[in-house]
Amino acid sequence: MSERQLLRVERLAKRYPVAGSKGQRGALLHAVDDVSLHIAPGESLGLVGESGCGKSTLVRLLARLIDPSEGRIVFNGEDLATLPARAFARTPQRAAVQMVFQDPTDSLNPRYTARDTIREPCRLLAGMDAAAADARVDEVATQVGLPLALLSRFPHQLSGGQKARVGIARALASGPKLLILDEPTAALDVSVQAVVLQLLDRLRRELGLSTLFVSHDLNVVRLLTDRVAVMYLGKIVEMGPSHQVFAHPAHPYTQALVSAIPGHGPRIRLDGEVQSPINPPPQVCRFASRCPSAQDRCLRDAPPLQGPCGLPLPAAHLAACHFARWPEALVV
Amino acid sequence: MTGFLASETARHIRHVLTENPVTLVAASLFLMFVLLALFGPWIVPYDPLASDSAAALQPPSWQHGFGTDSIGRDILSRTLVATRLDLGIAVSAVALSFALGIALGLAAGYFGGWWDTAVTRVSDTIMAFPLFVLAMGIVASLGNTVGNIVLATAIINLPFYVRVARAETNVRRNAGFVEAARLSGNSDLRILAVHLFPNILPPALVQVSLNMGWAILNAAGLSFIGLGVRPPTPEWGILVAEGAQFIVSGEWWVSFFPGAVLMLAVFSFNLLGDALRDIFDPRKRT
Amino acid sequence: MSIQVPLLDIQNFSLEFRTRSGTVQALQNVNLQVGKGEIVGLVGESGSGKSVLSYAMLGISDAAAKVTAGRALFGGTDLLQADERALSDLRGREISMIFQSPRTALNPIRPVGLQIEDVLRRHAMAARGRTGPDAALGLRERAIQALRDVAIADPERRWAAYPFELSGGMCQRVMIAIALACRPSLLIADEPTTGLDVTTQAAVMDLITGLARERQMATLFITHDLGLAADYCDRIVVMHAGHAVESAPTRALFDHPRHPYTARLMSSTPHRDSTLASLLPVPGALPDLRRSNLPNCRFSERCERADGRCAGPLPTLDAGAEHSVACWHPSPRRAAHV
Repeated sequence: MSERQLLRVERLAKRYPVAGSKGQRGALLHAVDDVSLHIAPGESLGLVGESGCGKSTLVRLLARLIDPSEGRIVFNGEDLATLPARAFARTPQRAAVQMVFQDPTDSLNPRYTARDTIREPCRLLAGMDAAAADARVDEVATQVGLPLALLSRFPHQLSGGQKARVGIARALASGPKLLILDEPTAALDVSVQAVVLQLLDRLRRELGLSTLFVSHDLNVVRLLTDRVAVMYLGKIVEMGPSHQVFAHPAHPYTQALVSAIPGHGPRIRLDGEVQSPINPPPQVCRFASRCPSAQDRCLRDAPPLQGPCGLPLPAAHLAACHFARWPEALVV
Repeated sequence: MTGFLASETARHIRHVLTENPVTLVAASLFLMFVLLALFGPWIVPYDPLASDSAAALQPPSWQHGFGTDSIGRDILSRTLVATRLDLGIAVSAVALSFALGIALGLAAGYFGGWWDTAVTRVSDTIMAFPLFVLAMGIVASLGNTVGNIVLATAIINLPFYVRVARAETNVRRNAGFVEAARLSGNSDLRILAVHLFPNILPPALVQVSLNMGWAILNAAGLSFIGLGVRPPTPEWGILVAEGAQFIVSGEWWVSFFPGAVLMLAVFSFNLLGDALRDIFDPRKRT
Repeated sequence: MSIQVPLLDIQNFSLEFRTRSGTVQALQNVNLQVGKGEIVGLVGESGSGKSVLSYAMLGISDAAAKVTAGRALFGGTDLLQADERALSDLRGREISMIFQSPRTALNPIRPVGLQIEDVLRRHAMAARGRTGPDAALGLRERAIQALRDVAIADPERRWAAYPFELSGGMCQRVMIAIALACRPSLLIADEPTTGLDVTTQAAVMDLITGLARERQMATLFITHDLGLAADYCDRIVVMHAGHAVESAPTRALFDHPRHPYTARLMSSTPHRDSTLASLLPVPGALPDLRRSNLPNCRFSERCERADGRCAGPLPTLDAGAEHSVACWHPSPRRAAHV
């Protein structure tokens, strides 16, 4: 419980002011709300959720591209949230937290060769001179299985899988400890995806990286992660060991999500309107409007993230639901 | 050199030039005008300022390809030599506009907020002014020199570059590679200069080419009404103005040839715009 | 085996694209059949030619596309030879298509109800004594009914909505409503759920297949997602690099994939029982379709079963057969998993 965590996120929130409907003033869109999670050194945490759940915002907060409204991001003992995003590029911690983007075509500068792209963090973050940077580029390219001959090519001359490797090489070039993977295989064909997933797993083990793996593809998340967190409308609704969460989802939303995967049996339909993320009433469970198990209590008493028997044990399986269905082995 | 000729860039340029014959024509014309601007004074048959009253108002002939004007100066020589001044004014004005406009547009598109508001309001104000009114205003306050005409043309063209730069930057501001650049340790300034600027260059360059045509026309127009360049300096606008009074009496060549060359210059720059974009956009390469 | 005449019968279809960098042999000798009321999944990766095929059916191919061989018979008409007028009459009325990106397929400045009415009006469905359940209703009522059919709540109000006011899933439903407004007999769905959340995806697929069964509408469902196709299609045709390589009923395909590419495609798709180590990717890369020296079997260069025989002409895929494969070394029928 008090083991040294690489990353500890405490009550992170991001709220955007929006023009409220019917001219209400002070309307805030709660993109991320009261999110707490942790990643141990060498551990892989999955993050799943559908569009509008806030995972993109959370990812950008953790990568320090945007500033949180409140909360702490404790990385290696230091609270990164106190360093403003605008100036983060110049801090030494920038090199330690890197990201692989979703669309390899969009995330590569069309006027940079592959070598230029991978070399930039070596020069800017690791402060290497030209010779050292080139050597590092070669080293990292070999690690990700990118033939050195391709390094002089531009993105439009590379295939999808090759561009994905360039993106991964760029993220690894500065020697990060935490790698955030934002849907890294979403834009790839299924055969290339398999290769890239195996590569990512191998790199994680060889380099001892911690990873945050964001994806909408639950099958893929299950393969690559130790633990998984499920988000809905800005909050984490379930978190626990990956295999367990997918095999025995406790929260009704996770149950619906898992049942919607092709081949997972009868689909749980979610009817009802999605609750608005603008000024959500704090005492109402966000999922109650669509939840098949919703009852009166859910509208008065929003459940916190808790384990079975209501104890917030960090290592165990947690769900934010009063009526979560726990696997029998967990319920003491 | 051979490395470049064999390189992909050279192959692509050759491809663009040969694919569409119009592009080849435009490129050749452009090259011709540049050569004229550089070497004009040395290749013309007559001294552009030398007058010869005996040979005044001669129609086009073998000795005088474009005829002579009212004081016997060879119009061909004057027209060709004028290329340097016209192109010079246009290039200076466009370069100035480009540098300032792109910088302002980049800042407005990237930072947004009050930067954006300030730049777009200024740009809107400039667009409200007709060129001639602005030029006359500048001339009245700062003096009737070529330099001030360049300034006036540069200011009038500013909004085009601001708009192009701002729009293209806006589109790319949240692109993956910009975020990735931040993650790689780039400061805002470096992102603007190294990542965004080269990528907005192709549309900006198309604008440059179109603008050059317009700037040449502006320079000629201002000289036509007596602002900036003054006779006897050969300049297309002045040449057309000098011949205006003779059209009615039948000496059409005095205005016609300078006007035609002016038109050809504007035309070739406009055509070049498309070719430039084809060359510079790496995604159009195969 | 049914002896019914298929609704759509594509025979020996070949198509190429003339581009700056060469001629792309996008499709070669494709045989495909879709029967009345049948849901056929056309599965392939990017570059397999599946979308190209569907566009050619409706005559909306890119200008650089050229049909070099084959026929596509639809109720007696060869779609590849038909002129624009004939095709225009068929589109929307007998054959409809839904596209991948609903927002870009809808007119952003026109209310969705009017877009549905446009189709009805084009095919003169409102008036003039057409038979059928909606014959008596006016255009507006029929549009509202179409919205109701695709499970859009409050259709009277949504009739006036603009696409930007609707979510991605709802836009997709509107597109389905437009496509099905005139009750076509063939629906071509080109990756209709790519980009949608997994729960919305499931709902949209349920809707499409539900309507298809209810109206006995033939459906050609194009996707790269084998798992999705498995859940919803009666039969699956696998495409690779412009060739149709295997065609089989869904269950049979998954139990006994016979073509090596199909087997590899399955093994590289994660499913509930996969592990990372069990994912066997497809080796090598797609051949460049601009090459003049393309082998007869376009998979042979990266196939572990390839030998001298594969250099010869490829066996033709018999689209009418139960389980057909275009390969000289198919896995034997009723064998264990590859």
